[in-house]
Amino acid sequence: MSEHAEGHSASYERIKSKKSLAEILEVATSFEQKAFEFYTDLIPKVSKNLRWLVEELAVEEQEHFALFTNLAKDPSIEEQVKQQIQTPVEDRRFSDYIQLPDLGDNIDDQAILQYAMGREDAAMKQYRELSDTTEPGAIHDLFEFLANEETKHKQELEKLYYELIHSGGPGN
Amino acid sequence: MSDISYKDKGSILGPFKSLSFFSRKPVTEPFEPRIAADNYRGFHVNDWDVCIGCSTCQKVCDNAAITMIKIPGLPDDPVMGIRNERPAIDYGRCCWCGLCVDICPTSSISLTQEYVHTCRENELDSYFILPDPNGMHNKLFPKGWSKTGDADLVDLERQPMAEMEPQSRSDNFDEIVDGFTKQQAIIEASRCVQCGMCHDSCPTNMHAPEYIRAIWEGDAEEAVRQMYRTNPFSHVCGRVCTHRCETACSIGRRGDPVAIRWLKRYAMDAVSDERVREIAAEGKADFVSGKKIAIIGSGPAGLTTAFDLAKNGHAVTVYEALHKPGGMTRYGIPEYRLPYDRLDADIDVIKSVGVRIECNVRIGSDITMEQLRQDFDAVVVAIGLQQGRSTRIPGSDHEQVRASVDLLRMITAGESFDVPESVVVIGGGNVAMDIARSLARMQKSQYGKVAVTVSALEDFDHFLADPEEVKEAREEGVVILDSRGPKECVIDKNGKLEGLTTLGVISIFDDDGRFAPSYDEVDEQLHHGGMVIESIGQMSDISLFGEELTEELEWNRGRLQADEDGVTSVSWLWSAGDMVHGPDVVHAVADGHRVAASIETYLNEGSSNNE
Repeated sequence: MSEHAEGHSASYERIKSKKSLAEILEVATSFEQKAFEFYTDLIPKVSKNLRWLVEELAVEEQEHFALFTNLAKDPSIEEQVKQQIQTPVEDRRFSDYIQLPDLGDNIDDQAILQYAMGREDAAMKQYRELSDTTEPGAIHDLFEFLANEETKHKQELEKLYYELIHSGGPGN
Repeated sequence: MSDISYKDKGSILGPFKSLSFFSRKPVTEPFEPRIAADNYRGFHVNDWDVCIGCSTCQKVCDNAAITMIKIPGLPDDPVMGIRNERPAIDYGRCCWCGLCVDICPTSSISLTQEYVHTCRENELDSYFILPDPNGMHNKLFPKGWSKTGDADLVDLERQPMAEMEPQSRSDNFDEIVDGFTKQQAIIEASRCVQCGMCHDSCPTNMHAPEYIRAIWEGDAEEAVRQMYRTNPFSHVCGRVCTHRCETACSIGRRGDPVAIRWLKRYAMDAVSDERVREIAAEGKADFVSGKKIAIIGSGPAGLTTAFDLAKNGHAVTVYEALHKPGGMTRYGIPEYRLPYDRLDADIDVIKSVGVRIECNVRIGSDITMEQLRQDFDAVVVAIGLQQGRSTRIPGSDHEQVRASVDLLRMITAGESFDVPESVVVIGGGNVAMDIARSLARMQKSQYGKVAVTVSALEDFDHFLADPEEVKEAREEGVVILDSRGPKECVIDKNGKLEGLTTLGVISIFDDDGRFAPSYDEVDEQLHHGGMVIESIGQMSDISLFGEELTEELEWNRGRLQADEDGVTSVSWLWSAGDMVHGPDVVHAVADGHRVAASIETYLNEGSSNNE
């Protein structure tokens, strides 16, 4: 996995050291920015028939980037986060046993999705662990919120994975 | 002198007799009808929630008293056999015979005990009514003549289909189903009410009412003629079609749908191959157009396109990478479901109209796409979904983890491989059933016992394989487990495959109804097997396009972008079949017709422009 990926141990230490909501969100936003840049760089490197998938992944990372950026600017951030985590997001674990691929030269749509799911899974686990090791309060809630967001993203990718790999493609 | 006799004239006191009536009280009949008999044939009522707009009532009416009226807002779903039409009755024509009631497949229409209606001259249209459940005057009169067991003209039970018992079929690839006898076929055909729901639901709009009628009339050749109007794969579709026609069949609303697929099979088997070729060639152009078309792939889509274009006088060459033509119908469907000689018969018909098939030619390596573009007026790519997807779980790269499509191809080609004594199949679709049942036969033949386990993500309520496939697989000794997610292909310390571990699937759908399996990590099972066969999704090998053409083409979420007529984003290239619309023979046939029609238009426009 890329060294810039969320879930990397250096990333974990970096975000763990932050003590304010704004600082944590800033780091989380930078992860999303790096993910967006990673997928954007990948687009021209894959065959044209696969670009739609990488483009979608880049857009989703961009949406996360926008979500976190806007949240950081929101004066009622604590209340917003509290509300968001009222509904827990379940990790379905559908992709947990799919191997993490090496994105070499001859990648296919499945490898791209495997990679993306692995990335989201690592991020989800990182935020969940940070949440579990943080005392109840605003920072704990923020980590919980971030874990939920990554879990939702992982869930969406798992649905697409099922449709694409197990049932012959979207629309079938 | 009058020539009328005295007796006929009556008495001369007659006028006085008439005057005597002036002194009598007038008699007025009440407007409200008197009580009618229980099975009185009064005005119609129709339950719109039950009625499917099949028009059988209209077709049976000898007086042409029934007109089907399109009702905006009502459901209209040809695939499910529902039309947004309802019958209207013209009481100037109706003779209240009640045949419409007796034949109604859904029992939605009946007659009531209401029988009085009058109107002024300017309301004569009120005798033309659209019956609903409330009756002609919104008065709930008791039911009169209604559907009864004695008067039901619909035969609800289909003719039984003889097939091999599990013990006699489980160690061989002989065809399971016997097919109808002539007598059975005629009786089964007589169940059809000619509503045409089957025609509307069929992707290629086969003229099923016409060929069923021909079978009922004992004219199998005419039935074949009707089939070849839209389907040059009638032997294949008579055996393995997904038969949406039967899902839509109006008789299926209360009983067994007409066995349309088996009737098609009967007619094709009843006519000699030579005669079928003659019938199929009827209408073939008696000229040579001078146009050349290349088709890549000899499955149903490619060969249907080829058949239509060859009949129009064009020179058509079909390129097939494998040893024999037929695509997935040959290399993906086991012979116990589709005997190769019947597939060959369909293909021989297609070749007989002038289609040239070159096997063992791989486009992309033996011949490039660029060469085809230069040498032909149009090129069609119809390569199907010939590659199996892998789960890519740990251990899935072991040599004994195989793809179902590869093994099915090897079985058809007669290529040998070591049949393991125990097998685990991942997948719950028809292809999973095909490989499971094929290996079960091979195991039974070699070892005298079957040890095949199928592990599917989906639960039985949402299973992808046809219920009859599941039933027959179980009869043959295959164990089918639902709601199991593959976790790992287990390999022992010596590198030998031990089997597959799976986890329980605790939920299937998310809140939006999208399939989103959720695993229960506590519920883990090991299924022993010397081979694990992955039978999940399939995909196309698009390497034949090469980098340059891949870049030039437009794509739609990974699939080659093509409009309804198969036109791609480059002017000389069309695409058809499974690679565009997913796996299904009859859809591929329908696709082939559309693509052929589109190419015909393209060639004609080119000719016009050159004139």
